[in-house]
Amino acid sequence: MSKVLAIYKKEFKGFLFSPTFYIVCALIAIIFSFIYPSVLNKFAEALQMGMFTPDMGQQQMNIHYQVFLPQLNILNLMLIMIVPALTMRLFAEEKKMRTFDLLLTSPVTSAQIVAGKYLAVLTAVFGLCLIAILYPLATAFFTKLQWGSLWIAFFSIFAAGAVYAAVDLFCSSLTESGIIAYVLAVVLNMGLWFVGIGVDAVDNPMLRAVFEHISINQHLVSLVEGSVRTSSLVFLASVIFLFCFLCERVVEASRWRS
Amino acid sequence: MIKVQDLTKSYGGTLAIQSLNFEVKKGEVVGFLGPNGAGKSTTMKIITGFMAPTSGQASVAGFDVFESPIEVKKRIGYLPETPPVYTDMKVAEYLSYVAELKGVPSREIKKHVEQAIDKTNLGDVQKRLIYGLSKGFKQRVGLAQALVSNPEVLILDEPTVGLDPKQVAEIRSLIQELRGHHTVILSTHILPEVQATCERVIIINRGTIVAQDSLQNLSSLQGGARKVHLKIKKENQDVGSVLKALPGVLKVLPGATANDWIMDTQEKDDVIEAIASTVIQKGYGLLEISSAKIDLEDIFLKLTYGEKNV
Repeated sequence: MSKVLAIYKKEFKGFLFSPTFYIVCALIAIIFSFIYPSVLNKFAEALQMGMFTPDMGQQQMNIHYQVFLPQLNILNLMLIMIVPALTMRLFAEEKKMRTFDLLLTSPVTSAQIVAGKYLAVLTAVFGLCLIAILYPLATAFFTKLQWGSLWIAFFSIFAAGAVYAAVDLFCSSLTESGIIAYVLAVVLNMGLWFVGIGVDAVDNPMLRAVFEHISINQHLVSLVEGSVRTSSLVFLASVIFLFCFLCERVVEASRWRS
Repeated sequence: MIKVQDLTKSYGGTLAIQSLNFEVKKGEVVGFLGPNGAGKSTTMKIITGFMAPTSGQASVAGFDVFESPIEVKKRIGYLPETPPVYTDMKVAEYLSYVAELKGVPSREIKKHVEQAIDKTNLGDVQKRLIYGLSKGFKQRVGLAQALVSNPEVLILDEPTVGLDPKQVAEIRSLIQELRGHHTVILSTHILPEVQATCERVIIINRGTIVAQDSLQNLSSLQGGARKVHLKIKKENQDVGSVLKALPGVLKVLPGATANDWIMDTQEKDDVIEAIASTVIQKGYGLLEISSAKIDLEDIFLKLTYGEKNV
């Protein structure tokens, strides 16, 4: 455990001392600072209009659907691009700089290496989500919010980030080049998202059910709306575990090949 | 301490090493000598548990590298060909990270790091980023990294590459100091390094061990213990056969010019006397005669490149 912690600390420090992390944080802050107030403003205007149109839908009157959900969708899109930037160097650079030799000849198991690095990315992703949640928190000064569903919504986007982190870490372990790791990771992240399109593309009801279940989108939609389903949690956890496991296998395999 | 049995490694059909057998006792400093591409690094990587062998076994301190790699790795400090340093870390910070990875208890990390910095003379640069260090310093950081957990076994792959002569001398004396406390395997193709630091040599060529013995034994192993260089005035084709016939002369080779001859002889003073008097009697015109002990270089070249190129 202490070795996982050693690797975790080293990698997390690496994030804190690298410009990438700060650039990414700044990017999120800037984009939300532009978008969030304008969306909020539109919502406020719509509410005023709503007073004169009594048949306006429930969803249109709800700050969750009108403000927070679009923000989370943007955050999700950003995570697809950003998480690979954080993970790309984690294994690729170790291999390129030959520091991987140090890890492989130290008394640590491949699982400990992957766990240490994964937890470090997870912490960084958590940090990014914290920046995003500042905006709804600021809104709480002006209005009353449903805290429960807000937290669950942000937990769900963090869970999505955790899935990307596992997938992207795996991509980084495959190659010596950071750029290849990045591109591969973005493609896989998008793939995870778009596999849901299969639902509309097939007629067979069983295939449709399969697509529905493996689409990360389907699971997140319910979470984002504030309803926690065990099946979704199990699915997300399984995807994370699967890719961490694959990553561990790749690290282990490098002891055999090379 | 280190035992290697029938170790074989092939890279997709190409045999890098072939049934290697050797043993290193506790506290010994052993030189692993061979030309480039002989399989030195491959052997070291297998012993450190970095790479799995195709067949055969290797064990360190009684633990099989294959069966209990973690136990083996706890006892090994390894300096690969390229020092495995993180350029974005500071020297002391990097060393304490390595100590933590190697399982040094957290209370002792500081002490271990200080010792390693002391031994490798890194005191002046310990607060600097590794990124900005020269190649020689990076190499020393690599060496400090291998030493930091105070391991029983040290495996050093070409430890003095890229260092200036003074640093080379420092590293060599450091390795000599390690004798007795640590078991050291040192791979190199630099012969004076082996002569300066090692008690025993293992010479490897094209994946097989061609000789392993103490330095002294190796010198006498090759029959000819002395090399006699002769320079005469007259060019004469018979000289070779005349000299060959003398007792104690093992081999006669023509030298750089037609007037030079080189002989491998037994290690007796009579032989030189006999050569000198024969040359004078025959009236070849003796200009110069000198003898030298056969050095490691000759043995190395003979064993690795064959006799004709010596």
